[in-house]
Amino acid sequence: MGTSKATDFVTMNIIESSMISACREMGITLMKTSYSTIFNEALDFTCAIASAEGEMWAVAEFCPAQIGGMPLIISSSLKEIPLETINPGDVIVHNDPYRGGLHTPEHTLFCPVFVDDQLVAFTVAIGHVAEVGGMVPGGFASEATEIFHEGIRVPPVKIKKRGEDVEEVWKLWLANVRTPRYNYGDMRALISGVEVGAERLAQTISKYGVDHFRKICADLMDYSEARMRAELRDLPDGAYPFHDFMDNDGVTDQEIRINVECFIQDDEIVVDFEGSSPQVGGPINATLGVTWSAAYNAILHLTDPSIPKNSGCFRPIHVLAPAGTVVNVDYPAPEVGGNTETHPRIAGAVIGALAPASPERAFASEGGTHLNFVFGGQDKVNDEYFACYDIEVVGWGATRHADGNDATDSINGNCRVTPVEVFETRYPWLTEEVSLIPDSGGAGATRGGLGTRRIWTCLDAEITCSQLTDRHVHQAWGLNGGGSGTSGMTLYMAAGSSEWQNMMQAFGKSSTSKWSNVVIKPGDRVEIVTPGGGGYGSPAERDPELVQEDLAEGYVTAERAKADYGLGAGGD
Amino acid sequence: MRFSDTGYYIERYIKCGNCGVLVYDEGVKSSDPKLADTYFCSDWCVDWRTQRVNGSKAPRIKTG
Repeated sequence: MGTSKATDFVTMNIIESSMISACREMGITLMKTSYSTIFNEALDFTCAIASAEGEMWAVAEFCPAQIGGMPLIISSSLKEIPLETINPGDVIVHNDPYRGGLHTPEHTLFCPVFVDDQLVAFTVAIGHVAEVGGMVPGGFASEATEIFHEGIRVPPVKIKKRGEDVEEVWKLWLANVRTPRYNYGDMRALISGVEVGAERLAQTISKYGVDHFRKICADLMDYSEARMRAELRDLPDGAYPFHDFMDNDGVTDQEIRINVECFIQDDEIVVDFEGSSPQVGGPINATLGVTWSAAYNAILHLTDPSIPKNSGCFRPIHVLAPAGTVVNVDYPAPEVGGNTETHPRIAGAVIGALAPASPERAFASEGGTHLNFVFGGQDKVNDEYFACYDIEVVGWGATRHADGNDATDSINGNCRVTPVEVFETRYPWLTEEVSLIPDSGGAGATRGGLGTRRIWTCLDAEITCSQLTDRHVHQAWGLNGGGSGTSGMTLYMAAGSSEWQNMMQAFGKSSTSKWSNVVIKPGDRVEIVTPGGGGYGSPAERDPELVQEDLAEGYVTAERAKADYGLGAGGD
Repeated sequence: MRFSDTGYYIERYIKCGNCGVLVYDEGVKSSDPKLADTYFCSDWCVDWRTQRVNGSKAPRIKTG
């Protein structure tokens, strides 16, 4: 532990910045050259650099869902593709959740970086491919009961060898998805990203020399480790338990427990998920990579944000995820919602557990879902099948010092919402309304962030829709006396009707939040209401001027201003 | 992890009996008879699980 005596901090900082810059350029390349809105608008990807052993050296600020699991993906892949069989110009693709992956849509591409005939590093891009085959268009098969319902699994294989496409891999993959032209474009974008990164990184390594570069990277990880240990040492030793629930798995209506106990021991932490529910029949099981990512994500939120993000800062963190549970699913159970829905619940549970130890940085629960509204259909203009993975945003939890953010992607996403203009251009929907929902944030000395309402009307094509979301039942919890955020809901109104119904009422589905393959026809409407964030501290302690301001802005109604904060009719 | 003779498919998924990570090689075994059939990924996991099954709620096993 700790950096060596000969550490050159200036060079270390320059090399780290160069690597991050290369990762950002990878991401921009991916964004600008991809075909699907999930990449070029939502930015649902991560770009990173790893050592030849799979340890993460640097990462850009894209989607944090993927950074914690990345070392697991690379190291698992290298068990099947040994280093000595990897050559310059090779590119490896992998999405198998049962070989270290996160969930079926998440495709990891990595490219070796050779300098002086030595394999020094890998550039890595992990991206959520919008269409992967399986039982629903758009990837989120919310009624899946086995992995084979969720789309094609790709074990670690080379998709390029020595700079040339491996045609057999391309053909096999593209034959198993509904939108081969889009998938082709998105895969090319991922490959371009890692190849651009490899070119930039090779320049940096050549400038410093392989041995010096490796030593600096080792020092960088030691430095991150030392910084993380210092942060953990400042927290009081002890055992900190917490639990939260997911509404259901889409197959039964049984709630699912995420249980955690965090043991802070001097400068290390053990995050133990023993006591979490056994894995379930529906697709909200998390893979181990998801649980690692979620635990690291939570701890990074509670520690100094200036700690360099690499595998070094994860060394003092021990994550225990019992096999066969909802936090470490065993083959062949379904898992696609684990990476989007279960990750926030796991991360939130860790934050809830550590709140007594880290009250300045802990925050109330956020909405904790990406809403995952997916759909597909035949485009009448282009006579081509389209598919879309749409992310919606939630209210964030309040901190001790500030209200929660409104309309922000859940804790593991950091993704953007696709602009209405792009959405309407690409897909046959008319957006009638996008708005913040008054009173959706939990009351508190600081208030939870607001969820949103979106209403779409289907225009000129039948659209097959599915959704995998949560928090229709279990709301985002408040902290230290703060109130809960409001629940989410998804409603449907048939053309010519004036009655909104949920998906159980309208289509006889088992769950309001997890349903598959509903056919929406022209004139039908869909309304998506997203959960609000939890509040922090007693509402009685909220500054009356802030309540007045919320009332004037329409963030709270007069009714709730009176009920929650005691604001009188005269505004006093 | 047990692969087929050809290496083309996985016959059995093997995970660490403590942290749950995939175990690709021989793994590490505990000398505690209660854990004789369990694979582990590291000495740290052997020590933690051995102490847990013998009644310690929060073993202290330092790595740094």
